Amino acid sequence: MHARVVFQVILWVLLFTSTLATGQGQVKVYTVNYPLQYFSQRIAGQHADAVFPAPTEGDPAFWQPSVEVISGYQQADLILLNGANYAKWVNRVSLPRRKLVDTSAGFRDRYIRVTVDATHSHGPGGEHSHAGTAFTTWLDFEQAAAQARATADAMTRKWPEWKSDFSRNLEALEADLLELDKQIQMIVAVKPDHPLMASHPVYQYLQRRYGLNLKSMMWEPDEMPDEAQWAALARALGDHPARWMIWEGEPNPQIVKRLQRMGVESVVFDPAGNRLDKGDFLSVMGQNVKHLKRAYQ
Amino acid sequence: MIDSLYIAWKYVSFYKARTATLVACVTLIAALPLALELVLEESERQLLSRAESTPLLLGARGSALDLVMNSLYFGDEVPELISMRAADDMDASGLATPIPLYVRFQARGFPIVGTTLDYFDFRDLHIAQGRQMALLGECVIGAEVAERLELKPGDTLLSSPETLFDLAGVYPLKMKVAGVLARSYTPDDLAVLLDLKTAWVVQGLVHGHEDVTRTQDDSVIIKRSDNNVIANAKLVEYTEITTENVDSFHFHGAPDDYPLTAVLALPNDERSGTILRGRYLDTAIPYQLVVPGDVIVGLLANIFRIKNVLDAVILMVGVATALALILVFALSLRLRQHEIRTVFRIGGSRLTIFRLLGAEITIIFLVSGLLCGFAMIVVDQYSAELVRRLVIG
Repeated sequence: MHARVVFQVILWVLLFTSTLATGQGQVKVYTVNYPLQYFSQRIAGQHADAVFPAPTEGDPAFWQPSVEVISGYQQADLILLNGANYAKWVNRVSLPRRKLVDTSAGFRDRYIRVTVDATHSHGPGGEHSHAGTAFTTWLDFEQAAAQARATADAMTRKWPEWKSDFSRNLEALEADLLELDKQIQMIVAVKPDHPLMASHPVYQYLQRRYGLNLKSMMWEPDEMPDEAQWAALARALGDHPARWMIWEGEPNPQIVKRLQRMGVESVVFDPAGNRLDKGDFLSVMGQNVKHLKRAYQ
Repeated sequence: MIDSLYIAWKYVSFYKARTATLVACVTLIAALPLALELVLEESERQLLSRAESTPLLLGARGSALDLVMNSLYFGDEVPELISMRAADDMDASGLATPIPLYVRFQARGFPIVGTTLDYFDFRDLHIAQGRQMALLGECVIGAEVAERLELKPGDTLLSSPETLFDLAGVYPLKMKVAGVLARSYTPDDLAVLLDLKTAWVVQGLVHGHEDVTRTQDDSVIIKRSDNNVIANAKLVEYTEITTENVDSFHFHGAPDDYPLTAVLALPNDERSGTILRGRYLDTAIPYQLVVPGDVIVGLLANIFRIKNVLDAVILMVGVATALALILVFALSLRLRQHEIRTVFRIGGSRLTIFRLLGAEITIIFLVSGLLCGFAMIVVDQYSAELVRRLVIG
């Protein structure tokens, strides 16, 4: 009888301590895009749950979260922002200031200003414009590493007891990002003037960091451009003879065929701003590098 | 004794005017110092507890008292404005957590407090009904505001114009009540709390309107060029923020320059607080960093100095009243010689006369005591509000 009671007590103690241990790993880090979710989860490891609650359709930069989702952000332990005017919804909601961390604040002076742009629409986010500040900061992998460092710093300030784990994980992540950086530099170095077309104006930081000779259209992968847009492309190709067009996502086969008739091949360079159907940030960026290599061969 | 009380009661109720005057004199002279004591105790409680729980307060150089009264108790006197940069700089210092405050506007007589969600954690404020504010244009109201204005979550509340005849001013903003705070018995019960950005919408610094690049109404356009459109005052700004128009709300100018009335500073530790205070000692810096507790202790010292004067005045008035009462009774004894002789004739002793007079005085003091007690209950009931109106303003 006594042995049973002792056994039950030990079982309860074990259960209680394991619950406490699990509870420690349940700190919540909310992010405004997928790259930051990936960075924060890799840096935090088992200590935190990195959450990015946007729907998988549409561009999170133009997403408007519901009140319930905002409430989730309000209760998070840390909220990682991308900066560069990404996720404009942040300016229209109430979030606890002391939990906000702008991960690109360290290179704010190097933001790219986008001056002229027309509005357009795609996905459930409705009509939007890219005028203002270019926001796909992580496509410059050196900047991505800086954002990862800012994430690790914020986490260390918040949870100093896990500093060594954060530092170790950050080191591995930085190495991965800088390897991508090196690979793209090597690809572009072969043909630095090689002309390329981009379907959408989201590659500004990629272009600046790696010196791509790139011109952007305002096309969507799933929407057939109208004749005026085709004519605009033809005119652009006149003084910018690109043989490859970079797409955010897999383009419509009809667009691919028509582009091929114009002598332009299609290749995907997914900015991975939103959660991915398969793979993770690093594997998708690895694919992007391979695709870019094809465009440079 | 009962007989004496009965006769005395008959006497005092017959001379109603004289009795009422005596009762009023005694009640007033007793109630005044007690009421003053109650109000001062409440002032001390309200002022000190809130001030002592606020470590540091940053604001523009000028009256430290105005700064503290506006930021902690939402007093009407608005201090010189500072900019959001002051809060950002403090944040960048890594020494303290800043909580910006913008206490300038009112909604139906209650102060609008523009701040961040950190304020709720700092003051330990909890939502009793509804939910926390989430979207631009939403507010959370104090328990007393909800009760007096009969508002509940989902209702709307209009901001008040700064001046009645401000024809060129911004339109009042129709704010949605997202939640009602649990009663905290602090000035937060009487406040309309909203996000800083919504406070700037109230001021018109952040606003939303029809897209001028697409409007079909040329009468609102002064000049249109390839990369700029200038609209005139006919362009109507939205007075309510809805899911349909929220995307059109935008900042004009750099958010760093947007106004604040103060910044609550929560230092990481005592050392950080000391370093931070040292940084704002330089008079060339346009800010002052004050310890609200010290400012309020100074204010209370002045109040208690005034109280001592008032106590002395009340004491003198009390002595004068007591002398007057003695005179009234002495004179009434002379006037009542006829009655006294009658008492002697029917066999009453000198003691009977004293008992009758004693009973009259007892009745007068008893009634005064009751009235005084009632007055104290009323004062106690309204002392918090009285302090807010008289002391905090």
